[in-house]
Amino acid sequence: MTNKVDNLFDYVQERCLWQFASRTWDRTDNIDGVLKHVGSLLKKDRPAPETPAERLNLADAKVLVNDCRQRYDWIDAIAPAEVDEVIEGLKARLIDVTITRSKNRELNHSLY
Amino acid sequence: MPMVLLKCDKDIPEREKHIYLKAPDEDTNAHLPLSNAATIPGTLSERGCAFCGAKLVIGGVVKDAIQMIHGPIGCAYDTWHTKRYPSDNGHFQMKYVWSTDMKESHIVFGGEKRLEKSIHEAFDEMPEIKRMFVYTTCPTALIGDDVKAVAKRVMEARPDVDIFTVECPGFSGVSQSKGHHVLNIGWIDEKVGTLEPEITSPYTMNFIGDFNIQGDTQLLQTYWDRLGIQVIAHFTGNAAYDDLRCMHRAQLNVVNCARSSGYIANELKKRYGIPRLDIDSWGFNYMAEGVRKIGTFFGIEDRAEALIAEEFEKWKPKLDWYKERLAGTKMAIWTGGPRLWHWTKSVEDDLGVHVVAMSSKFGHEEDFEKVIARGREGTYYIDDGNELEFFEIIDLVKPDVIFTGGRVGELVKKLHIPYVNGHAYHNGPYMGFEGFVNLARDMYNAVHNPLLKLAASDPRGAKQIPMLEAAE
Repeated sequence: MTNKVDNLFDYVQERCLWQFASRTWDRTDNIDGVLKHVGSLLKKDRPAPETPAERLNLADAKVLVNDCRQRYDWIDAIAPAEVDEVIEGLKARLIDVTITRSKNRELNHSLY
Repeated sequence: MPMVLLKCDKDIPEREKHIYLKAPDEDTNAHLPLSNAATIPGTLSERGCAFCGAKLVIGGVVKDAIQMIHGPIGCAYDTWHTKRYPSDNGHFQMKYVWSTDMKESHIVFGGEKRLEKSIHEAFDEMPEIKRMFVYTTCPTALIGDDVKAVAKRVMEARPDVDIFTVECPGFSGVSQSKGHHVLNIGWIDEKVGTLEPEITSPYTMNFIGDFNIQGDTQLLQTYWDRLGIQVIAHFTGNAAYDDLRCMHRAQLNVVNCARSSGYIANELKKRYGIPRLDIDSWGFNYMAEGVRKIGTFFGIEDRAEALIAEEFEKWKPKLDWYKERLAGTKMAIWTGGPRLWHWTKSVEDDLGVHVVAMSSKFGHEEDFEKVIARGREGTYYIDDGNELEFFEIIDLVKPDVIFTGGRVGELVKKLHIPYVNGHAYHNGPYMGFEGFVNLARDMYNAVHNPLLKLAASDPRGAKQIPMLEAAE
């Protein structure tokens, strides 16, 4: 499981601008929103976004899953029961690195 | 690996907080260069001023507005014509420069009357133009000229004109970044939502943070046209003033330059619920990803894939020709901020080029999080680099080519290191699929230019004096 989280974390760090949004609440929204759809896609569900923000999260998630499918063999073989655990691990890692322990002094400014 | 104190900084040890050398397995929680902080006394900063950030970078790009600069003449001249952002209306905004040309007596007795007279004079001389930006500068801000009151009086006298005031004197921030911020927030506070656009497509977006450098906007616009997407406003490449008042009606904000323009995208999200998609418009791989995400958002994936396939078929062989010849090239990027993280992986993935040092003039810590997450180990990441640091870094990493601006570029040419204009480009556009081939071509021409070797040899047989020694 750890290796799978490492794989996805390395991909997100290298490719995904949404993890580095301007403020803590933006980063939280993006991490929650995109990873929710990544989980659905990994479970082979058909996500049904209802809001414009969800449609955007799904667009980000689709690119992530398709790219990782080419990088990592385990993506297509992962059991649905394991998906939640991997997504939770990835979410915790991203929150830790991009929010909790971030050295960015602007993250919690109340204004943009 | 700790932060780095260069030898040239021995008398200004505070610089250590601004220079990072990435070590294996380190992430942005280990070290992050201090940035968007005041320049340290004693360092020879390459930064511009806050007024420059508002005028030269964002406002001055707008194609159908007079740019009235309320200050001494130099503030106008020095923010005019140093960037090449053409427009489809005959490049009006690049042909002319406007200033109230403040002199000592105006500073002593106040400049509001002179500003009002200048605004009327400009509108009278150019009767087809009905839109204007007015900027304060250091002296007119210090004497307290009320430019908003003046603009209001003019708009009452001339109901067909609209004026936007930018109160961002050069001293108001630590770099040009403050000017980006002030203009972004001012525009959404005062102008967005004051006009309704004509909607011509079921798919609408704003494209934010692209300034049509040598035609970037116009090249990307061909993609949006082919996808059937209406761009309500480009912020601000090739943009019309009134289009920018309609930004509230877009369904999606696509952001390229997050540093100069992320603020307005955030505010559009907060105030109007328009989601923000950050993309990289430089690079094949990145551009394809951006087009793919936009297509997915609008439910037009097939069109997006068709566009990507057509562009790859047309341009990928050309890119690969350059990749064969550029692989292993060592590149330094010394630009404003975002191009560090936009370019560091795109040149590596698409061209096999290794970025060995990067310096940002006005990036914030967010920019360094992005670039360190993406960038190579063993690469230097520098905030607000100065000339002596550049010399020392060159000795340490020995780049084959440096992407930077004209001023630093001329400096490194004296060391016989080729430079490519990283701000205004050599022969752009550089965005999009075609654009990245242009970038590769300019890098190839720079690195393989036979004149470099000739320039480095003195026909008299004299010994070349090292630059640092010559400076002492």
